[in-house]
This record gives sequence, structure tokens and C-alpha cells, in this order.
Amino acid sequence: MDRVEVMNMTNKDSRVLFQVILQGGAILALASVIALSVNQFRPGGLPLVADWSPDAQLTLGSGDSLMISLDEAGMLFFDRAALFLDARSSDEYAEGHIEGAVNLPWDEFDEHFAPVMADISPETPLITYCDGEGCALSKELAMTLLAKGYNNVRVLVNGWTLWQEKRLPVEMSENLSHNQ
Amino acid sequence: MEHSRENSAICSQNMEADDHDHDTSLPAGARHHAQFWIRLLLGAIFIIASADKIYNPEGFAQAVYNYQILPDALINLTAIILPWLELILGIFLIVGFWLPGAVTLANGLLVVFFGSLVFNVARGLDVHCGCFSTSTDGDPTTAWYLIRDSAFLLMGAYLFFKVMISRKLEEPIGARS
Repeated sequence: MDRVEVMNMTNKDSRVLFQVILQGGAILALASVIALSVNQFRPGGLPLVADWSPDAQLTLGSGDSLMISLDEAGMLFFDRAALFLDARSSDEYAEGHIEGAVNLPWDEFDEHFAPVMADISPETPLITYCDGEGCALSKELAMTLLAKGYNNVRVLVNGWTLWQEKRLPVEMSENLSHNQ
Repeated sequence: MEHSRENSAICSQNMEADDHDHDTSLPAGARHHAQFWIRLLLGAIFIIASADKIYNPEGFAQAVYNYQILPDALINLTAIILPWLELILGIFLIVGFWLPGAVTLANGLLVVFFGSLVFNVARGLDVHCGCFSTSTDGDPTTAWYLIRDSAFLLMGAYLFFKVMISRKLEEPIGARS
């Protein structure tokens, strides 16, 4: 390869790099302008910045929060004053759950709702939980139960992890504990 | 000669056949069928992926949140802008406009998507609900996402190579040296 050829290649490379930066920037700008304009004028557009903390997510339009603290949930647990609903999958429930909790997997809500909730009155205090600070299952379950008329629902955010950290009573499903 | 022309007309429906065909009477794009189809496919994937997110921004914001990667302040902005970026990239890939920029950005997005998924599988977070999960590795949906995203990455890498490195794609014949 002679020098002229090498210089040609370098020129071409920098030209392509320049193109990429220019075009990429223009595409990003175009997308942002269209997206923000549409969002501004459409019904149901999102606020540009929102509070995604669990507390904010669980605050209803009325200003009431569905969130319950671990201490409060623990007190209701020892008073046997609330029913705990585990929103995780049945496999995860079987591996371990809050003692006395009933499994109502959010992913199979329609199949499980009727048999699980058959004997439970709408006034029963309910506490939903799943695992992880950002876990949406317990929130979705609580919102749906509220909409179905269960008006005493609370959410224990990151419930399974917090419950174990505090060494509060847990249990495994029977067939699983027999195996071990 | 007559005979071979006829053959090449028949073969023009075949992707590979035309790669060897240097008949200059064909439009420039026809000699790069493989690139063209992959551009079309990847472009269509981007457009289809953007449609539901544009239609339902609230649901998409929740999905971004469930990945538990971005700070809260960036979640809504991402949920608003990303789908339109995907739509524009999809259209540009298909019509072949500003390919160096579009292909590079598309690859950037694919790498980010794949990276976030792998990161969450590694830390045991189920991206469908943002939950800690003991069964993420064995989850068939997650496995399918990983395979699907790898395929997208391969297509993106192929286009990137063609557009940026071999620079053959759709370039006018005179511009090649």
C-alpha cells in the first residue's frame, strides 16, 4: 500500500465517522422533538419526570397510600389481624413464604382469584407482597383487589426480603418440606 | 449470451445468486440482496417494537422501571423518546436513508437492550415484573428473550460491518474507489 492510498483511507474513515456523528445526532434530535411534541399534546401524555419511589407509586388519587411498614405488618401478623397474599409464582411460594400467607400469583390471577378469595369478605384486612424493591406484582395485585371491592388492601414493599431479614416466621409448602 | 441473461432473470429472486451478478443494468441495490433483506427485517422489527410503546407510554414506562437500571428521573424521558427513536431508525433502515448514522444508532440500542437483559439475568431480577426471582435462569420467557436479542444483535452487526467497514452498501458505483 503506498502513502497516497493510506491517506485516502484515513480520509474516508474520518468522513464516515463525521457522517455517523452528524446523522446520529440529527436522528436523536428528530426523535426527541417528535416524541416530546406528541407527548405534550396527546391525551394521557407522561410527565417528563415522575416520582417512581414505591411510596409515590402506591399513593392513590385520593392521596391515601397503600404502603404498609414492616413493623405495622408484623403487628397485624402477630395479632392475626390480616391475611397475607403472596403475589409471586407458585414455585417461589412453595420454596418459602410468610407463615400463613396464601398464594395468589399475579401472573395467573384469573385462574386463582375465585378459589383463593371465595371465603374472604371484602372488609378483611389484606396485605400483598412479593420480592424486590421494584417488584410490581404486589402493587398490581393490590390495585386489582381494590377495584374488585376489597377496600382494605395494603402493600408490603419488598416483603419477602424484609420479612426474612427480620427473621419473622416463615414456612415452606408441605410437600416441599416433606422432601427435605 | 441470450441464455445466460434469461437465467439471471430467473435467479434474481434468489439472494445469493445476485451477489455474483455484475450486470450493470441492474439497479445498485439489487446486487446486495442479503443486506437489503436484513435492513428490511431489522427495520420492520424496530417499527413493530415501537408501535405498542408509542400507543401505551405508561405501560412502557413501567417496563423501563422494571429493568431497575435507570435512575427514576430518566425513566419517563426514556419511555417517551425511545419508541420514536426506534420508529425513525426502522423507517431509515428500510428506505436506506442516512444509513451510517441509523445503523450505528440501531446497533447502540441493540447492545444496550442485550446488555440490560444479561445484567438482570445475572443479578437474578425478573425483568417482567422487576422482582427478585429464584427461577430467572430457567425461565423459558427469559431464555427466549436472550436468543431473540442475540439474533437481532447478529443482524445489526452484519449491517454495521457492511455499512461501516466494507462500505459497499447502496453506495453509487462511481463513488467506490
